[in-house]
Amino acid sequence: MQSTRPLVRPTGFDRMLAPLHRWIWRDHERRVHKLMRFGETETDGGRDILRAAEVTSDPLLRRLYLVHAIDELRHGAMFRQRAASLLQALRSSSKPVFRADWLAPGGHGADDLEVDGESDHSMLAFLHLSEKAAASRFTVYRDVLRDDPPTYAVFDEILHDETFHMNYTLTQLARISPQHHRRHIWRARCGRLWKAYLRVASALAGVIGTLLMTVQYFVLMPPFAWLAKRGARRERQGWTAADPDAGDSLTRQY
Amino acid sequence: MQAIRSRDSIDAGSMKILGISAHYHDSAAALIIDGMPVCAVQEERLSRRKNDAAFPLLAIEWCLQHAGLEPDDLDAVVFYERPMLKFDRILTCALRAFPRSWQTFPEAMKSSLGEKVWVRGTISSYLGVPSRKILFTRHHQSHAAAAFLAAPTDRAAILTTDGVGEWATLTVGHGTRGTNGGTAITLPREVRFPHSLGMLYSAFTAYLGFAINEDEYKVMGLAGYGRPTVVDKVRRLIRQTADGAFALDLDYFEFHSTARRSYSSRFVDLFGPPRLAYEPIDLSSADGQRFADCAASVQCVLEDTLVTLARSLHEETGLSDLCLGGGVALNGLANARILAESGFTRVFVPPAPGDAGCALGAALYADRIHFGSPDRDIPDHPFWGPSVDGMELARIASEDGHPVDRCEDEDVLIGQTADDLAAGRVVGWMDGALELGPRALGHRSILASAAGTEMRDRLNREVKFRDEFRPFAPVVPIEAADRYFEIPAGGARLARFMSAVFRVRPEWRAALGAITHVDGTTRLQALDREMSPRLYALLQAYGQRTGVPVLLNTSFNLSGEPIVNRAVEGYSTFLRCGIDVLVAGQTRVTKKTSEVSRE
Repeated sequence: MQSTRPLVRPTGFDRMLAPLHRWIWRDHERRVHKLMRFGETETDGGRDILRAAEVTSDPLLRRLYLVHAIDELRHGAMFRQRAASLLQALRSSSKPVFRADWLAPGGHGADDLEVDGESDHSMLAFLHLSEKAAASRFTVYRDVLRDDPPTYAVFDEILHDETFHMNYTLTQLARISPQHHRRHIWRARCGRLWKAYLRVASALAGVIGTLLMTVQYFVLMPPFAWLAKRGARRERQGWTAADPDAGDSLTRQY
Repeated sequence: MQAIRSRDSIDAGSMKILGISAHYHDSAAALIIDGMPVCAVQEERLSRRKNDAAFPLLAIEWCLQHAGLEPDDLDAVVFYERPMLKFDRILTCALRAFPRSWQTFPEAMKSSLGEKVWVRGTISSYLGVPSRKILFTRHHQSHAAAAFLAAPTDRAAILTTDGVGEWATLTVGHGTRGTNGGTAITLPREVRFPHSLGMLYSAFTAYLGFAINEDEYKVMGLAGYGRPTVVDKVRRLIRQTADGAFALDLDYFEFHSTARRSYSSRFVDLFGPPRLAYEPIDLSSADGQRFADCAASVQCVLEDTLVTLARSLHEETGLSDLCLGGGVALNGLANARILAESGFTRVFVPPAPGDAGCALGAALYADRIHFGSPDRDIPDHPFWGPSVDGMELARIASEDGHPVDRCEDEDVLIGQTADDLAAGRVVGWMDGALELGPRALGHRSILASAAGTEMRDRLNREVKFRDEFRPFAPVVPIEAADRYFEIPAGGARLARFMSAVFRVRPEWRAALGAITHVDGTTRLQALDREMSPRLYALLQAYGQRTGVPVLLNTSFNLSGEPIVNRAVEGYSTFLRCGIDVLVAGQTRVTKKTSEVSRE
């Protein structure tokens, strides 16, 4: 199958990962899961861009953002519909699989962006880079899905829109900030790197926190668990008289 | 945003109390001054994230700005539940489920200890108010206060029920309002977690592939397509206790132990494979019918249980009025049966019986009961949020080249809109202050002709983008309601805030096809002229043109989005769906067809 759509050339990094993506997308259940997740990401991103359309004071940007948001929401629906179709065929063979979410990220989703507080410059720069990254990845995903023409077609159609999004965000950034648009893109690039670092750091902190809590759970909790279970056995079902002092003081948190 | 009062106009001696609900779902803030609500708004309406549970900073900021207050001016800030008591329940349940809770324990602790238990510090640091001004009501006290203190009754029995608060999942008691500080709410008995009607219904919500704490109303809608054929099976999950309460058979559930899934494998063995969230419901298939029957059965058991509890409360208190609070009070079918079968003459459900309304309830509880302020009648409407600005709509629509009318003559605007509706056009209607609560009660509504099922299908397909089985609700002038709907004695009160489901009169079902559910019922709003004069006038004008003053009234939002607040949000919704005309204040906008070039 050969796409007639304009070609978005994937980055070297994404091209290098193509074999890995081929492996990830090969499993049908994982494919369904990823499409569903992409659907959510596109929809979330669409809502954020919609918000950008609502808060900008630039009429042209408002119209373009709105078109963009409608595209993203439609992409979300396309991913979900394709996932639902694949799911119909899969219902009987459900088994847990390694989902590899972080290995094959979806579209942009502007969920870590406070849209209400962003200027038009930073929003456009952020969107341009996000669309560019998404287009690069989606090109790889499309190409590894040649054995599944309907899913291939979904990515192909979305890629066409991503090209428009990538271009208009850059054109509009140059329009509203002709002197400094490159600086805005570099700043957005640094911002994305910083946010990526924060995501990794908080994920790592989460893992360490979970580990510590799990250790405490098994080391410290057993005697308290025994007491709690004993208390539960004594607890009567049905009505319980409310603590008569409970409502007396509103200064209590307990 | 323009403040409604200047700082000088606020009496320095008046009591100013801010109520807050947050951290579970649907956070909100409400402000009362001198015992009267001034404003209240859900965080989701400002942040534009549906069911936003974050600490409601935007809502607080708007409330203070609207009233022209600084945080220092507040006499008290009341949080709607006791966070440490809630933490006690979460920790105890994790310990009771040891070692099965090992996977959820770290997440639960991180979530609670990371933010949720430090509410006093959070409020203090965000608002800069001293911690002595920060108060805590119990979760169900807040529900009870929202239901009772805002209702036009002096004495009433109170029943609150939801998923869970701190420990209580259902409370019963009574309330008395006194003019000289004698107001009291007594909730002597409660049912405790994990035995919960809300959690039972939520387990079925999850089983049927819908989102918990969000899509429970879809289960109610789906129930209309089913028959209660598995009631006996549902009754295995919940039994009546000897003292007249109820208990769940916990072997069928997992929400209390792992929180990863609401129902257990035994539940699946009993009812069959669950529906997957992305799978469409095909009611012509055996599976689709099985899901509808499950919905009908759990709905039937929920109603029976609530009617039994309410009947017993009526016998115990001997009171004629009942105030219902908590998320379960959003179940209109159950509310109608409680009115019909429990013995209470009047049943009051506030427009926001869920957690959002607790912000108002907590503030009222502190004012009337903690501070002992004299009781005052609360305006009987839900319109406590930001007002819409028609000029904003006129400006942005003009910039985009859409045809804009500024109609200073109210009668002309109402007449034009009635003509649109009579011609089968769909109208986005924004008027005055935003509603508090999940129902669009005429200030942020999508209105359409109620005649014919084609309109229902068109709205589901082109406007709301939602499941075809979902019904729509009507709005009708209260004086005309009885002509089209079978409203029992006391039913008009429940219909004030769309809190009950009643039958459409058989002779009108075909003519009102867009709002008649498959079982012949509808969740009606009977509109009082004083509550929303413009919508009332529109209904009259529409009635003059068509002979039937009944309009379809659905919330002004698209699937997965919060109800619109500002004109610009209504405008962006209008452009993305099949709404033909948008009215905000005195501005009327119709759609042009061209779109932005992609080249």
